[in-house]
Amino acid sequence: MVTVLQARTRGMTLMRMPLTVWGIFTATVMALLAFPALFVGAVMMLLDRLLGTSFFMPSLVEMGQHLQHSGGSPILFQHLFWFFGHPEVYIVALPAFGIVSDLISTHARRNIFGYRMMVWAIVAIGALSFVVWAHHMYVSGMNPYFGFFFATTTLIIAIPTAIKVYNWLLTLWHGDIHLTVPMLFALAFIVTFLNGGLTGLFLGNVVVDVPLSDTMFVVAHFHMVMGVAPIMVIFGGIYHWYPKITGRMLNEALGRFHFWVTFLGAYAVFFPMHYLGLLGMPRRYPEIGETSFVPDSAATLNAFISVAALAVGFAQMVFLFNLIWSLSRGRQAGGNPWNATTLEWQTPETPPGHGNWGKELPVVYRWAYDYSVPGAERDFVPQNQPPARRATWEAAP
Amino acid sequence: MDATPTDTGEALARPAGWRGVAADWSSDQRAFKNVSWGKAMMWIFLLSDTFIFSCFLISYMTVRMSTTVPWPNPSEVFALTIGGTSVPLILIAIMTFVLISSSGTMAMAVNFGYRRDRVKTAALMLMTAAFGATFVGMQAFEWTKLIHEGVRPWENPWGAAQFGAAFFMITGFHGTHVTIGVIFLLVIARKVWRGDFDQEKQGFFTSRKGRYEIVEITGLYWHFVDLVWVFIFALFYLW
Amino acid sequence: MAHAAASAEGQQHPVKLYLVVWGWLFVLSAFSYSVDYFHLQGYLRWFLILLLMALKAGLIVAFFMHMAWERLALIYAILIPPVAVLVFVGIMVFESDYTLFMRETFFRLGQG
Repeated sequence: MVTVLQARTRGMTLMRMPLTVWGIFTATVMALLAFPALFVGAVMMLLDRLLGTSFFMPSLVEMGQHLQHSGGSPILFQHLFWFFGHPEVYIVALPAFGIVSDLISTHARRNIFGYRMMVWAIVAIGALSFVVWAHHMYVSGMNPYFGFFFATTTLIIAIPTAIKVYNWLLTLWHGDIHLTVPMLFALAFIVTFLNGGLTGLFLGNVVVDVPLSDTMFVVAHFHMVMGVAPIMVIFGGIYHWYPKITGRMLNEALGRFHFWVTFLGAYAVFFPMHYLGLLGMPRRYPEIGETSFVPDSAATLNAFISVAALAVGFAQMVFLFNLIWSLSRGRQAGGNPWNATTLEWQTPETPPGHGNWGKELPVVYRWAYDYSVPGAERDFVPQNQPPARRATWEAAP
Repeated sequence: MDATPTDTGEALARPAGWRGVAADWSSDQRAFKNVSWGKAMMWIFLLSDTFIFSCFLISYMTVRMSTTVPWPNPSEVFALTIGGTSVPLILIAIMTFVLISSSGTMAMAVNFGYRRDRVKTAALMLMTAAFGATFVGMQAFEWTKLIHEGVRPWENPWGAAQFGAAFFMITGFHGTHVTIGVIFLLVIARKVWRGDFDQEKQGFFTSRKGRYEIVEITGLYWHFVDLVWVFIFALFYLW
Repeated sequence: MAHAAASAEGQQHPVKLYLVVWGWLFVLSAFSYSVDYFHLQGYLRWFLILLLMALKAGLIVAFFMHMAWERLALIYAILIPPVAVLVFVGIMVFESDYTLFMRETFFRLGQG
């Protein structure tokens, strides 16, 4: 974090940073401010467990025995946990937002649409995420008036998020889309994230959330938006940067196989859960037995989900094999296989040596998204390329 | 976007006010213009620590406000009997004054550090450490007294069980911070005394050149500990 | 490195300023203590406690921690995030009132 704030290379202003760095930076700031609440909650829980204090433990009767605790408030734990927990969702998501922006821009050979808005959206999401935490607690027994406040903030946070989604789409619009493996994962992210985000709007409203709480619908929402979507980006990021780290490309055929099984498999796993949740099937039950509202067919659907999950798990074995196999057998990548603009692709050696740059640090002359600049020699201009004198593209925006 | 290297502008006078904020944040290389990375890191750590202590105090506030059992009166609990009369909260008052004194000596140490007055800086830092150690000693005395009177993390003779829990937890964490601060002070004071920063001797761990700025960074930490005590004093003892 | 050299000189302020701030801290602490000593109660007590606390905290941060002489970029970076804490405090005040209300309403018998 201090590296971003205080130790940037020459010319790298904050508004020239790749969005990946912005995402990671903001997530770091949030981690710094959110983890204290988890820490405090954990300390107090530890004291409750080990010393017999009653921060969170109310008077309890367990197995017919009255426990020593009295007067603690479990709701307090929930507040502390979610004051950490909601920012944590974005600590996971923001780096993904950043990475996916760079993947889309690079593999669609087009500058990112609305860069400044993307940055401000990241910052706004980071700030807002500290005042939405109790939307996880609508049915916890907290002060019922909070529902109004937290539903409002939750729906407000949808605005910067929607801005980002639109900007990704507009980046793709008229782009020269290369359906490489990283790009496939990036596109899968947009679809999955949009899906999870829309169900988030359902759950952010108190009246809709109450009947859906603790059903499989929540499981579906959570996994779509925070489980599958960022993992898609992680995979995309690995396929994208593996050549820089190792000097060799990952195998394309195996990568495509991995992508399609993972993407379709993840949908096969989580999409039916929306339906199960609407039926009223509760989450966290290994066996629900006879109920009046869950039909037998739900069991069939659950079996289908399990099979799909096994298939997705198998695909990850293929991925691991690809990682290891390509280390020695992969195609030689060269320094910049994707023709990307950002600094990491311009290092003198691949994989980069200690200190990355050798003796001289790079100087940055432009933002990270000069793709397909009209009149430029190549379809990308690296960030550290000095401006050509009287080049025609200088007039371009 | 524009393809010119940004103006590094270090030598130019920087604008003030909101324009300054915008200019600093959009400037090249560093967002905090006249702040070293070491100092920035300490500030950022303190910000995070602020959140930790805030969460402790918020939790304490919540359990205290929502308890149906009476809360023990700190004014009486922390009273000492001096010369036959019971003086309310006197021990805590003395501890407060000790800590404020230490903050004063620390501020002086920072000041003399920047004047490169080796002896005075080291002496003032040692004095600060001594005040800090006194504070921790008095806290140990306070804990002993309360434990003798039957205060436990899970119960106490006067009321809500959360009293002891919150007390030991919050003062314990603060005391730990003070103790770490004392150690930190002693280490840096030794370096100042030896003249490491006058000779720009390289550090043991970092192999960077030591600078007097570390005195200010230590000072930031120490004042923060004092700051936390201001809040604990007001919210735990005076409430 | 010219920059680092400049900041190594650091900030120098007259000793007198520190002594004055130090003195005020003593006086304010004495005031806070006397709030308790004279058994002030109710809103007056709350008002005084919080006011004195804020004044002391302000003095320490502004002068001892040198924030008064930092650039606004740093000041805002440090002072704005704690707003999240204030929101948390506010929410938890309402929450504890509600918890107390629920306990008084439903747990009267089980009180032990």
